[in-house]
Amino acid sequence: MNSPLLDRFVGEARDLVQGAAAALLALERQPGDEASINAVFRSVHTLKGSVGLFDFPAFTKLVHAGEDLLSAVRAGQVTLTPERVDRLLEAFDQVGRWIDEIDAGGALLDGAVGISRDLTMALRAMLPAQADPAGARAANPTADTAAATLTALDWLGGLPEADRLAALAAASNGREILAVEYVPATDCFFSGEDPLTLFRPLSSLCALVIDSTAAWPQSDALDPYQCILRFRIVTAAPRSEIESLFRYVIEQIKIAVITPNQLRAAVTAGSPGAGALPIASPVAAPSAMVIRIIEGQRTLLATARTATDRMDRLASVARIVSNLLTVADREADLTSWSDAMALARRDETGHPVVAWFDRWLESQATTASQTPAETPPSQGGPRPRIETADPEGRPDNRVSANRILKVDQAKVDSLMNLIGELVVSKNSLPFLAKRADEVHGSREMSREIKDVYAVIDRLAQEMQGAIMAIRMLPVSEVFERFPRLVRDVSRKLGKHIALVIEGEDTAADKNIIEVLGDPLLHIIRNAIDHGIEKPEDRAATGKAPEATVRVKAFQDGDQVVIDVSDDGRGIDPEKIKASALAKGIIDADRAARLSDQEAVNLVFYPGFSTAETVSDLSGRGVGMDVVVTTIERAGGTVAVTSRRGQGTTVRLSLPLSMAVTRVMTVEAGGGMLFGIPMDHIAETVRVRRDAVQRIKTSEVFVLRDSVVPLVRLDNLLGIDAPIWFGNGDDEEAVLVVHVGGNLIGLVVDHFREGMDIILKPLNGILAGVRGYIGTALLGDGRVLLVLNLKELF
Amino acid sequence: MPLCFGTDAVAFKQDCLVEEALPLLEFLQAHPGAPVNLFACTHLHSAVLQVLMALRPSIVALPGEAFLRRWLTPVFGPDAIVVPASPRAAL
Repeated sequence: MNSPLLDRFVGEARDLVQGAAAALLALERQPGDEASINAVFRSVHTLKGSVGLFDFPAFTKLVHAGEDLLSAVRAGQVTLTPERVDRLLEAFDQVGRWIDEIDAGGALLDGAVGISRDLTMALRAMLPAQADPAGARAANPTADTAAATLTALDWLGGLPEADRLAALAAASNGREILAVEYVPATDCFFSGEDPLTLFRPLSSLCALVIDSTAAWPQSDALDPYQCILRFRIVTAAPRSEIESLFRYVIEQIKIAVITPNQLRAAVTAGSPGAGALPIASPVAAPSAMVIRIIEGQRTLLATARTATDRMDRLASVARIVSNLLTVADREADLTSWSDAMALARRDETGHPVVAWFDRWLESQATTASQTPAETPPSQGGPRPRIETADPEGRPDNRVSANRILKVDQAKVDSLMNLIGELVVSKNSLPFLAKRADEVHGSREMSREIKDVYAVIDRLAQEMQGAIMAIRMLPVSEVFERFPRLVRDVSRKLGKHIALVIEGEDTAADKNIIEVLGDPLLHIIRNAIDHGIEKPEDRAATGKAPEATVRVKAFQDGDQVVIDVSDDGRGIDPEKIKASALAKGIIDADRAARLSDQEAVNLVFYPGFSTAETVSDLSGRGVGMDVVVTTIERAGGTVAVTSRRGQGTTVRLSLPLSMAVTRVMTVEAGGGMLFGIPMDHIAETVRVRRDAVQRIKTSEVFVLRDSVVPLVRLDNLLGIDAPIWFGNGDDEEAVLVVHVGGNLIGLVVDHFREGMDIILKPLNGILAGVRGYIGTALLGDGRVLLVLNLKELF
Repeated sequence: MPLCFGTDAVAFKQDCLVEEALPLLEFLQAHPGAPVNLFACTHLHSAVLQVLMALRPSIVALPGEAFLRRWLTPVFGPDAIVVPASPRAAL
């Protein structure tokens, strides 16, 4: 079972990987674009930080390798070649798959370590060549072997005093003191590692703390081959030595430079009374106040007029300065001060002291200007000097930025369902008002109910609008995948293609957006594979060698329209006809009668594919018919227009929202209500009984000079039609509907009103029932069955 | 065999490798708090160390080897008895 933290990680990681891939593609288009490289680097860096919270070493290593390559790119050490982009995208893909695995099972599948190693090696191979290729990853202080920065240093306070003093002694010799935390991978024993031995060759080890990463398990719960140890050391060894020693586990160690102040603070905090340390630190500079007081003493001494006066003042100055130096722990200065004082007392002159003041103040001024960062004015808390950015890479600005609430889609869906129920229940109020009037005879009551209804109705509509707005997603959600797709496919086919995306802000309901993805992918693949010519063919026809695929989204009334157009060779109607003939989709007679546009529309027929050879991109036999089926299921339409030699445009039109369906209700089967989706209905007509003709067993009628077949809904639904005794003057109620491009007259008992309904698909044991799209609840509690005309005919 | 299991005590000799972790764990699970003599131990694999740290048997002697003695003393606490003269004292 995934923990909430892991769930959040999964969501965040998906966004990060997506963002990184998008930024990488942008970077490839515009090499050197600072914003893009920073964006992709930041995403990967953040991802590395967050995955570090969990135990996915394979994941972490791969992300780390990716980050290293990106950091080399950012530093200008390597250029971003298409091969490097390929490797990085491959790594991002793998990371994406791992995120799915983590989402599904909370763990990586077997073999992740191997995959990670291969990809990591591939990424590392892209790094600038090292002087020593055999030890490419060894002892090399560039980005790929730099350890992360350690931030948690509170454990310094718990070090034995002797160890801290040893470190301080090393620091007083001017050596840099490092704190290193090494948390070996839990499976490190299996790879033959022995973490403890790593510390043996270390040239200087001031302190070594071994403990466990978590509380020690019970003795029977301990897995002896799962490493839960944590090693923390304080060392005076140079950073390069550490990094070389730990080069194979560099991602498992963290290093921080610690100042003697931190050690000292740890000493004083850890053991009261140890404040008077015997070691003077060369780095701890006196505070500004000490300098100011000593300056004041010098002025006091220099302004003395008489010799007696000077000697009086000298006594007090001597006391003040020696006290100050003691407090500030400046032993060396104290010695030189007492020397100067002794000289001054012997010669009864202030000169040696004034000279000491000048020397001292001068040296303070130079140290201060040389190392301003090294001399914090006060001994602050034990904060490490962090060398790089926050290693976890968690930007704080997320809090201050636009506050976005991430909500599980299921919650939004359930809210929408509730609002749908509310809309339906509110519709029963007019019935109630009618009953109040007609049954109980209270007109006033009826009017009051209607008033209340008006208010609830308005609120319900606003709620519906609001929930729709929440569910609206920009089409960019889908479009984001295309730059990658176009890049991969065009590289594979050796075509030069520029993808132009317009109107990615156009929003549509989440369900619609979800439906769009695969069909669009298919259309774009088709365009690149079949539509766009090879660069040399394009040059021959006088076109620019770089082809353009344009994906444009816009809103048109209550429809969202997406055009995918290319400037390729277009569809050849003759070729389509020939192909359709060969496949037996049409006969020669019909082929001859087809207009060019009708011929182009043949690509929508199931099983139609014109590519001579089946490529691995498109033309797998599933053609445009899949696109059409998918889009039509979502209530949309697909149209193809093509001009030979100039390109093809595929237009998808979809409703903005699928939540509310407009249906017309009809009565059939002696009082039963059925809904028919409005987009099928062409018109309603009344046809006289004697105008109905019979052709063999079928009934037809003539509608504006064309013959329209007549179907009785009762027959379709298997209900016995009432026996008709009337005369020819009686009229049939005929609903003229479009089904599959044909007009059909549907005979019903009565027409009823049109209404907006919230369609609930049939599920459970009803899921297999054909002929119905779904059901809706009516205001009076009846269930309206909505017909799926395509399945009925 | 770097590990010498007595009836209710264990002594370490030379280099203790990763293979010793499981027998040691099983022994210590069977004999909680059994005395452990590390004096003759020249190296302790981290896995073995981990078992010792987790189960906290009574350490009767710390290793004589300098590196281990220096850094394992804080690990096993000041009350770990060092018996330098007779490494076999505990057995």
